Amino acid sequence: MKGLILKDVMSLKHQLKIFVFVLFGVVVTSILFVLSARFGNLALAGREMLRTEQASDIDVKNLATVALVLFMLLPIATVGDVVNVFQADGKAGFYRIAGAFPLPVSKRLLARFLTIYALFGIGTLIDLVLALVLSSLTDLIRFRDFCGIILSAASVMSIYSALVIFFCILMGYGSQSYAQIFSLLSMGLALILCNLKYCGSLIKAITTDQSGSLDMTIFWRPLDFIKEKFWILVLIAVIVSIVSYVVSLKVALRKRGVI
Amino acid sequence: MDEIKNVIELNNVTKDYGDFKLDKVSFYVPEGSVCGFIGQNGAGKTTTINLILDIIKRDGGDVRVFGQNVDQDSASLREDIGVVFDEMGFHEFMTGRDINIMMKNIYKNWDEATFFEYLKRFSLPSKKKCGDFSRGMRMKLQIAAALSHNAKLLVMDEPTSGLDPIVRNEMTDIFREFVLQEDHTILLSSHITSDLEKIADEVVFINGGRIVLSGNKDEILEKHGILRCKKEALSKISTSLVVGSEMSSFGCEVLVNDRHAAAKLYPDMVCESASLEQIMLYYVSADRR
Repeated sequence: MKGLILKDVMSLKHQLKIFVFVLFGVVVTSILFVLSARFGNLALAGREMLRTEQASDIDVKNLATVALVLFMLLPIATVGDVVNVFQADGKAGFYRIAGAFPLPVSKRLLARFLTIYALFGIGTLIDLVLALVLSSLTDLIRFRDFCGIILSAASVMSIYSALVIFFCILMGYGSQSYAQIFSLLSMGLALILCNLKYCGSLIKAITTDQSGSLDMTIFWRPLDFIKEKFWILVLIAVIVSIVSYVVSLKVALRKRGVI
Repeated sequence: MDEIKNVIELNNVTKDYGDFKLDKVSFYVPEGSVCGFIGQNGAGKTTTINLILDIIKRDGGDVRVFGQNVDQDSASLREDIGVVFDEMGFHEFMTGRDINIMMKNIYKNWDEATFFEYLKRFSLPSKKKCGDFSRGMRMKLQIAAALSHNAKLLVMDEPTSGLDPIVRNEMTDIFREFVLQEDHTILLSSHITSDLEKIADEVVFINGGRIVLSGNKDEILEKHGILRCKKEALSKISTSLVVGSEMSSFGCEVLVNDRHAAAKLYPDMVCESASLEQIMLYYVSADRR
């Protein structure tokens, strides 16, 4: 199984190089951002927004946090896309060779899951180290909140990857783009269905606002959720991964030659 | 006396794809032999090999490898099987070294030294990406990998197709070396019958998803013959002997399934030995009719 994990990592070699460049860019940019938010132009802009009452203290803080969080999510988002592994295997005709290896389908599938989760693990760890450094430089966000946001991002990426693996196995080689689209649609649909009330109030707030000074607190609710209740997303990621593995295994055993 | 063991046994194996059906395929491969699996393209050779390796699921029948049903523990059985496919299967970005790293973490009996020895012997650079290899080099790389985990059975699907005669000859030498050890067996599928004539002990001939002929190669070659006669004489030949016939401007060529009987019955006709290729061609054209 270790051999297949190593092969999958080799398939992602190019992407891992991009990850290193992105990481370097993120480290530099986020440190500059934090310093600017404390001593530079961003700090001045924030003060100006407060002075002219364009935004509240919380709004300014959250806007800066969101920008910082977006930087921080880039490494996790680029650390590894499972679709590339499926594509490389299909292009090489590796499925047939893998079928002749002394490994059962269950282990071959597990290797795929472990590869991608190991990479997310590395991405998360690097992000946490970066968060530790940044939180010591700024009072915008606490390290604990950073952890919540990073773990939430890793959970979302894990859910996406688990769904992509399932759809790739269900649809076979050549359908990787559809697998990505279906995964994103499924996630979007689930998100809307689970937050119907919030979505309704968000639409209502936007459409009924006449004054032009929209109450921003409604936008910060998801941010507060992932800061405080990130464990819910982690739990969902674990459940989706297990379900995806079990169902994908059943499909792979029935279809053969897909992993 | 030691009983002859069958390394591969197929019994009434079926696989239905709708447009193609593998129909009750039964044959066996004895231990220590080289079995040539012949048939034209699309005859069902690859499907049969995939079923033997449990890469695809069969619809019916039994497949036994090393005496064990492939359903029970096919993964562990594959430790002892070296596989070579018609296409390389390794990723083009992988080098010989990468393949070694992958394989040593997959096969329990992977022998790193043997693998690099084969690479050296085949003049394959271990640091070069295999995407840059020629077809011959790619096949050699697969063979090197298949022979480096102490496999007892080598299953090869068209390993020599598209290769020049020199490389093909090199390969047959390697296969011969492999079967020097008593417990080593080869199942080699090919439509290039001249290669098989050189090394095969057993022959299994598949056509349209059905086994047409199987058995000892020498016996098959000994039994079959080409009978040359005039067109008018064709009707005199017993139909039970005739597999197929071909007309030409000079007369008629008939493949008979018992050339000694034919020689006795028709002493005025010339009866020559037939090659595997001729046997294959006549059976296929007879099947089409």
